[in-house]
Amino acid sequence: MYNATMITVRLPQKKTELVLPGPRRVMDLLAEAGVRPTTVIVTQGKKLLTKDHRVEDGATIDVLSVVSGG
Amino acid sequence: MKCKRCRRAEAAVDLPSHHAAFCPDCFLLFFRRQVTEGIRKPRLLDPEDRVLVCVSGGKDSLVLWDVLMDEGYETEGLYIDLGIDGYSDRSKEKVLAYAASRGKTPIVVELAKEGIPIPEAARCVRMQECSICGTVKRYFFNRVAAEGKFTVVATGHNLDDETARLLGNLLHWQRDHLARQHPLLPGADGGLVRKVKPLWRVSEVETAAYGFLKGIDYVTEECPMSEDATSLVYKEALSRIEDRMPGTRIVFYKGFLDPSNPLRKGPEAEEERGTPRACASCGAPTYAETCSFCRMKERLRKARSQRAARVSR
Repeated sequence: MYNATMITVRLPQKKTELVLPGPRRVMDLLAEAGVRPTTVIVTQGKKLLTKDHRVEDGATIDVLSVVSGG
Repeated sequence: MKCKRCRRAEAAVDLPSHHAAFCPDCFLLFFRRQVTEGIRKPRLLDPEDRVLVCVSGGKDSLVLWDVLMDEGYETEGLYIDLGIDGYSDRSKEKVLAYAASRGKTPIVVELAKEGIPIPEAARCVRMQECSICGTVKRYFFNRVAAEGKFTVVATGHNLDDETARLLGNLLHWQRDHLARQHPLLPGADGGLVRKVKPLWRVSEVETAAYGFLKGIDYVTEECPMSEDATSLVYKEALSRIEDRMPGTRIVFYKGFLDPSNPLRKGPEAEEERGTPRACASCGAPTYAETCSFCRMKERLRKARSQRAARVSR
């Protein structure tokens, strides 16, 4: 759900969503979500974000796992 | 953070292993150069090759097909429908949609029609699911390539895949596997088609970033049968090391590929095996009496008849 004073972090492959206070860097949001940076890409709409990108309150970001098995 | 290359645009991809960050345009250029360098250095492909690209619907294989087409190679895609409920349908959909966007129609092999759907084989044959899948896929990759007069088979294995495999081979001292592990497996007389892994220099993060920036719609869910894959354990270990010491993975793999490394022989190891014989059952090239695919089919046939006997009792 959209929250103007918080950051929404969606992890579609884990089917979970976190709502965290901002503004914060992507790498800090990943640490809070317990996700290691070398296993994901982070997107905001059609933009790809670097790990030191500052995410503002009200934003929604997607954390996409890149690890394939087998 | 500004792009390290153009120094003007905002960076979108940071790559600590390369001490670099790139804007979208410069990253696409960087990625393409990494792949073409990986193709050039061990000479994986020649411009006149007919390339059969094995596509699963995941990011790596679709990105590989995309890059090879953009580089001007003559390619066709091969999709193997594993017969896994839901997952296979969604993967196939992605492959067909991507292929259509590039004016292509992939070759499709349906394992259910071939009598060896992976879920049933996994229940009946006492082997790891991923090993069964690997054996079946390799068989069809080669068969389709040989029948279709392709000169080479290309798969989307990336740096993370290859280093995970290397770590596994080292931990278990699989000397035969270590000797042969290489982005290039040469072909041989008797119908064995050359196999290459052009993405061996690029990581999963880089491949995913390329796919995202190019708008390639790939299947993001994992194969439901690979949850217990040992390769994931090795990947996890290497990724923890990479977090702390960026660049370790590429140093690990390049060091392994160095010709002075006594553990690996690469393409020469394949050539030393000589010419494969024809499988006594199906005629496919093999170094054993019967190929591993036919041995597996035989185990599946026996398991089916035992089950039928139990049911009729």
